[in-house]
Amino acid sequence: MSGTEEEPRIGVFVCHCGHNIAGTIDVEDVAKMASELPHVAFSTDEMFMCSDAGQTLIKEKIAEHKLNRVVVASCSPRMHEPTFRRVVEEAGLNRYLFDQVNLREHVSWCHMREPELATEKAKDLVRMSVARATKLQNLPIKKVSVLPTTLIVGAGIAGLRAALDIADRGFDVVLVEKSDKLGGNVAKWTHLFPSDESGSDVIKPLIRDVKKQDRIKILLSSKVSAFDGYIGNFGVTIKNLKTEKEQKFEVGSVIVATGFEPFKPEGYYAYGESPDILTLAELQELPPKEQLLKPSDGKPVKKIVFIGCVGSREPGVKGHEHCSRHCCSATAKAASDLRDNVDEVLVLYKDIRTYGKGHEEFHRMARQKHVIYSKFPEDGPPEVTVKKGKIKMKWYDVLAAEHLEFEPDLVVLATAMIPPDDVEETTHMFSLTRSGDGFFNPEHIKLAPLTTHTAGVMIAGAAQAAKNASESVIDASGAAAKAVGLMAQGEVEIESTVSHVIPELCSSCHTCLTACPYTAITMDETKDPPIAFVTEAKCHGCGTCAAACPSSAIVMYHSTDDQILTMVEAFLCPAPQVQGGG
Amino acid sequence: MTKRATNALVVGGGVAGMQAALDIANQGFKVYLVERSPTIGGRMAMLDKTFPTLDCSACILTPKLSEVARHPNITLMTLSEVGSVSGSAGNFKVKVRRKARYVKEDLCSGCGDCEVNCPVEVPNEFDQGLGFRKAIYIQFPQATPNVFTVDKENCIDCGRCVKVCEKNAIDMEMKDKFVTLNVGTIVVATGFELFDITRYPRLGYGQYPNVVHAMEFERLINAAGPTHGNLIRLSDGKKPKSIGFIQCVGARDVQKGVPYCSRVCCMYSIKNAVMALEHDPEAEVWVYYADIRAFGKGFEEFYEMAKSRFGVRFIRGRVAEVMEGKSSHDLVVKVEDTSTSKVRLIEHDLVVISPGVIPSSGMDTMTKKLGISQTDDGYVEINHTFFGPTVTKTPGVFVCGCADGPKDIPDSVSAGSAAAMKATIILSEGGT
Repeated sequence: MSGTEEEPRIGVFVCHCGHNIAGTIDVEDVAKMASELPHVAFSTDEMFMCSDAGQTLIKEKIAEHKLNRVVVASCSPRMHEPTFRRVVEEAGLNRYLFDQVNLREHVSWCHMREPELATEKAKDLVRMSVARATKLQNLPIKKVSVLPTTLIVGAGIAGLRAALDIADRGFDVVLVEKSDKLGGNVAKWTHLFPSDESGSDVIKPLIRDVKKQDRIKILLSSKVSAFDGYIGNFGVTIKNLKTEKEQKFEVGSVIVATGFEPFKPEGYYAYGESPDILTLAELQELPPKEQLLKPSDGKPVKKIVFIGCVGSREPGVKGHEHCSRHCCSATAKAASDLRDNVDEVLVLYKDIRTYGKGHEEFHRMARQKHVIYSKFPEDGPPEVTVKKGKIKMKWYDVLAAEHLEFEPDLVVLATAMIPPDDVEETTHMFSLTRSGDGFFNPEHIKLAPLTTHTAGVMIAGAAQAAKNASESVIDASGAAAKAVGLMAQGEVEIESTVSHVIPELCSSCHTCLTACPYTAITMDETKDPPIAFVTEAKCHGCGTCAAACPSSAIVMYHSTDDQILTMVEAFLCPAPQVQGGG
Repeated sequence: MTKRATNALVVGGGVAGMQAALDIANQGFKVYLVERSPTIGGRMAMLDKTFPTLDCSACILTPKLSEVARHPNITLMTLSEVGSVSGSAGNFKVKVRRKARYVKEDLCSGCGDCEVNCPVEVPNEFDQGLGFRKAIYIQFPQATPNVFTVDKENCIDCGRCVKVCEKNAIDMEMKDKFVTLNVGTIVVATGFELFDITRYPRLGYGQYPNVVHAMEFERLINAAGPTHGNLIRLSDGKKPKSIGFIQCVGARDVQKGVPYCSRVCCMYSIKNAVMALEHDPEAEVWVYYADIRAFGKGFEEFYEMAKSRFGVRFIRGRVAEVMEGKSSHDLVVKVEDTSTSKVRLIEHDLVVISPGVIPSSGMDTMTKKLGISQTDDGYVEINHTFFGPTVTKTPGVFVCGCADGPKDIPDSVSAGSAAAMKATIILSEGGT
């Protein structure tokens, strides 16, 4: 990379972050210390560096003091590194000539009760950053083109919606579905609680429109069998599960809409011991009839019990700690509807979470129809036993403070939403990560719920977390907007903080290939001997390869050995005068 | 065939509106983002931390603010309101009133010299009236645009700010301006308001100084707030040692005209309860609830952590009454613990009421101007739960965020992106 030849002139900006940093750390003292460090041409402290005023200050001082390096000591770079990189860029510097010190998360917030020591630590970190800044180098700004096709994995309600939106907007879609039908879970449900529609009412028009769209290529009974490339330019191999035939596609972005599976509650509430103990999903799949009939003997159901939180909200049970979100409202509507033709309907619950639009009303309606709601203790679930085909249940009603018993004709278990059984495969295929609920992690849980840490790969619907069909549809359109955003721009910037192999030093040992978590390194077989090669658009800049390389053949741009050792040296030799030779 | 417009209008600059504007603009279409207050950012800018990750709200929001402000395809119109609307999908004519700021946006550098010299102090709305601001002010340090605004109602025309402004940016003669926009599509993201909890006199808000509402609490624990993040009681400035949070006030209450669930109160109160303990681990914190609705990604796990790791105590019961000690201003909460069927009297130093969410003021006139229908609850009516959850009944007009019902931040952001998708389908038919 091109060096930055001139003598470093560093500007240091220490942020108060209101009282977040300045309340603990003596920021003026830190700024004063920095002003005495070698190569520092300007140093100050300011209320909010991220505010427009703070940003303007940086630009003004770059011009005034001819600064060619900038250090901002503020918060975590995870949030504001892009902000400050842009600021220095607008002032005419390469964005990689900026370094950020995290004085908030790493110092003031965690050492709140030791202000003096915190200030010392802040000084150490700033001194290290200034030392590193002297070694920073210009890096090129790179762009890659984006192919105008999106791969959508999963043709449930979310996948269909996303496909249709993208096609309506004028871009192409490859829609892959592992089953032999479009429509996913929703298509199976004759009652789509908590709505009044059947699943097919909702899904049929979508399927019809998707099939009509020339821009959507539908591949049923198919799975992605290989996936490589990088944002804008992914190579996808799709295998037909029946014919084993493979097809290759090139796409610019991906939407993973692989949905959920209803949890099969083996070992809960005598599930499996009687045909009259069903899950809510199974109830929703029963053929629509005036009168609900017992699966065991076909007689009309007179007494029905719903049990909530089956396989959900279980602290300490991996994959079952989360709330499954859709079940309370679905149960309320199902209970209310069924009550019209069933003598007694009970709902046993922990909390009633009818949060959605109109859902509280379903709950109220159920109660008006004399559906009986009974709260059981968090640590004392109801007991269900089956003897000679008869179902008996016992539980403690918290609100009435009474032990109750009941003999229902039918038990409906509102079970958890869990990820499909091949979720691990999907996770690896697209280099995604999963959270405790088993579903995929978004890029940011609050502000980027639809994108992931794999650039160019979006998630939508229940692939991201348990949610209902309406919420999945909203996600789907949102994820479609992200994909179209990339395709409409036609090109996208990629990071230059990537690793690079020095060919002369590479010993072809393959260590880096196994070390790389993103499959960004391959062997360039055109060379003899073959040498390691980094696909920069796939590299996340984690540095694992550089650390693992036994030949020191890998340079991690923006975190070079020289830059890191300079920081270590600055930490161990604190006083500026020592560096001056005293 | 009439030419279709390829610009979009987004009404409301909160997190949903900003996301919608960004996702439209990122596709190459021009967007006008109209916001009635002096800055974008909406309610999220006022929050201290966010659930379930305890991210600092302003910190995660500011990059979005900058992104919107600097986007070449977004024209920001703050202090502006939508007037009359005519036309139809593909070709709307929207009159926008740009209210006089009395400060020239292109000249003001946000230096704050004017503010220092302003002699007028008034309660700061951004801090829920707990702190003070000047008559020439900026709502919060990261306000976007970073431009001062003169509050003419309170300004005494002393002229000091005009004199000290080196940029000559202040113009007291400024008049409201009207502009007409030609847009192909409109996204409504007008957000929400909090229920007026004085309508529950038995809970003591407005009568007892140590009964506050959740938004006031957010400002009291915020490092940039009026107390610099020191959680104190308003009566005597003491640190509260016992705090009670009261849920479902102005939510799930048919008698008060708010039959629906507000979706966010359970989680923001659990978050506030945890934050209270972060401020003072010795404090006792109680939450009085009807049902704990921790339904989003990571929410239940956060609720569990609040109970097990932080020791927040949860009592299931709707609070009957909040009473105040005669001289101490200490409070007593009267509540039936429905899990033991016992009526309890619990003493607190501070009580925080969690108000429900209601449609934003001006929703009725806004919907009339745009010709979109409302639900019985007063929110924007959507076309269909499954076929158009961000589509209104008027073609070309879309809705996101809390304008069509209460939502948390991630759901608002998702809906913002979804509305953008629908809007750009209309715009792309215009030939781009």
